Amino acid sequence: MSLAWISKLALAAGLLASPTVGWAQSVNISYLTHWSPETVALLDAAAKDYAKSNPDVTVTVRAVPFGDLLTTLRSQGGSSDGPTIGGIYDLWLPELARDKLVAPAPDAVAGEVKSAWPAGVVSAASVGATLYGIPNEIDVYALNYNKELFKRAGITAAPKTWSELKDAAQKLTRKDAGQQGFGMINSWAAGVVHPFASLLVSNGGELVKDGKPMLDSPQAGETFQLYEDLIKSGASDPAMATADANTTGPFLDNFVSGKTGMIIMANWWESALKSGMGDKFSNIATAPIPVGPSGDKPHSISYSWMTVVNANAGQAEQKAAWDFLVWLNSPKSGKNGASAMSDILMSMGILPTRTSDIEAHKDKLGSEFLSGYVSVLADAKPFPVVPGGQEFSESLQQTLEALQYGQLSAKDAQANAQADAVSILERAAK
Amino acid sequence: MIKTYRASAGIMLAPAVTLIGVFILLPMLLTIWLSFQDWSTQTPFSNASFIGFDNFREIFGPTSVGRDFKRALLNTAIYTALSVMLILPLSVVFGLMVHQRDVAGGTALRTVLFSTYMVPMIAVTLVWSKLYSPSEGPLNQVLGLAGIGPQLWLSSPRSALISIVVLNVWQQIGYFTVLAVAGLTQIPGSLYEAATLDGANRREQFRFITLPLLSRTLLFSAVIAIINAVQVFEPVALITQGGPVGSTNVLTYHIRRVGIERAQGGLGSAMAVMLMLALIVIVCALFAFANRKDDE
Repeated sequence: MSLAWISKLALAAGLLASPTVGWAQSVNISYLTHWSPETVALLDAAAKDYAKSNPDVTVTVRAVPFGDLLTTLRSQGGSSDGPTIGGIYDLWLPELARDKLVAPAPDAVAGEVKSAWPAGVVSAASVGATLYGIPNEIDVYALNYNKELFKRAGITAAPKTWSELKDAAQKLTRKDAGQQGFGMINSWAAGVVHPFASLLVSNGGELVKDGKPMLDSPQAGETFQLYEDLIKSGASDPAMATADANTTGPFLDNFVSGKTGMIIMANWWESALKSGMGDKFSNIATAPIPVGPSGDKPHSISYSWMTVVNANAGQAEQKAAWDFLVWLNSPKSGKNGASAMSDILMSMGILPTRTSDIEAHKDKLGSEFLSGYVSVLADAKPFPVVPGGQEFSESLQQTLEALQYGQLSAKDAQANAQADAVSILERAAK
Repeated sequence: MIKTYRASAGIMLAPAVTLIGVFILLPMLLTIWLSFQDWSTQTPFSNASFIGFDNFREIFGPTSVGRDFKRALLNTAIYTALSVMLILPLSVVFGLMVHQRDVAGGTALRTVLFSTYMVPMIAVTLVWSKLYSPSEGPLNQVLGLAGIGPQLWLSSPRSALISIVVLNVWQQIGYFTVLAVAGLTQIPGSLYEAATLDGANRREQFRFITLPLLSRTLLFSAVIAIINAVQVFEPVALITQGGPVGSTNVLTYHIRRVGIERAQGGLGSAMAVMLMLALIVIVCALFAFANRKDDE
């Protein structure tokens, strides 16, 4: 065969092979999150690191406001062109799994997660015995207070009981200066419901038990009454409590500008406090949730987030997505034995969940602000993850907001909340 | 001859009718069909099961589903009524002001008025959310200079919806002013000259010439303003999330929450059908009222 013929055959073979090879190896996956631009930049950097050893995989990060995250997942997740990876709140998992929007984790991934994460966190990322996501963060609620305002009001220690909480809130309230003692939140379901649920569990109550709402319990009644007392005494002003779609807004502005003495909030807002307060962040301290009259010791609510893979994405994309997530959450991807995911989470003050990550970030988790959260984690109760959970949260939010604005009494709020919860959870369970 | 004429008319109309059928009538019929089904938006249509009027009973029932829907319907009605009641008179006032050809700066004023309509709603919303900030917002600072105490704007269930209406009116007024100006230019100047010779003053000229001859333009403006107002979404989604206490939860936002976020496609469709029916009834009533006036 002449050299010319060999060249022609080689060229033809190359032309035939190249598109096939390109299609088989090059995979584009997308990652949907609600993180801020600064945090998205860290995830982008991690994706670039991954691309160094996996040049055929391109990871594109897309961010939407928290208020749009579930809607985006639901409206785009049904198609193969939707986000390949999504960061989700554990409350959403049962319904996303029921609707087959999220893929079960492959056996190898599930095995690794079950061995490297605490069992409670693994169960929050599972429906039945099937693991659907790689857990990444856990959030827990605690009392945040402004030490400077406490000092000015002559309060020497954080309140440990509800009566101390009401007393401190009253002392911290200065209407002439536009200052409230205790800050509530409205216009954001989790922001309204989680602090209420934290006070409820610290009073020995529960939101849901064995799939049945427990808002008609005496403990729940006392929690509704606490809200009414704080509002009626003027120690909490609902007009200072509004949140927006990005989970910021006046409630945050009022706390960072020293117009709110105390608030019950999760650890993740450390970054928002730091950027809003600058040097004054050192004025903020953390304490366990005050114990109610029917409670035994401080408890709190916790919830977790995980990354899931779109069940409707192509096989190659799903495989690439799981491979990327395993790398992102492995001790090889971050600094000093931590995962890249945990480094990103810690930049926001969020507690990682992988056992090796907690060890790797031991020093930072011991900081004055975060140690207060780590200390309450052991006694925290997971927010109930049940079908209809999001609708249940939104309904309870409406009732609590009506109570905040004086449209309902504590007794009526309790009765409405229980009746709505029964109807929502029964319908969702069908 | 007539047969040929009908056939050619049919052929010429077919493309437009097909497009309208596929992109407008079919989705409407599908929504109506889904409103009688129990269906999750994440499942194929084949999974839908017929449940009669259950979805409609639910959205008008005493549970949280019914309560939230009725509240959203009421909020939408208030928002729409306030928007139309403010936009129409203001557009006529501004239209009369900028229609004066002999006033210096009339063109500049027209441009400024129309420019608010060209700003994307998302930008308007973000700016107004800061203007309305109760503690650091410029609006309260200006009121403070005039000795008026700080207002709660979006932070109170009493004022949140009205604050969104103000934002909407500010953005839309330029467009409706242009419509009013277009209507004013259609009124012959000779009518005003004759009225002046007959001794009619400015107020009488406005009442007996301008307003009656502007009625068709105002009817069109009212229909467009109603449709725009019923579709309000961005300010609610971006700033208030329907709160506080559901005071800004309008139907489009609520349908999105029920139909997409909670995947309750049957319930969401029933709500959409009710919204569509309400809109049809209002617009038909408006046209009937206008026709009656014309007959008189």
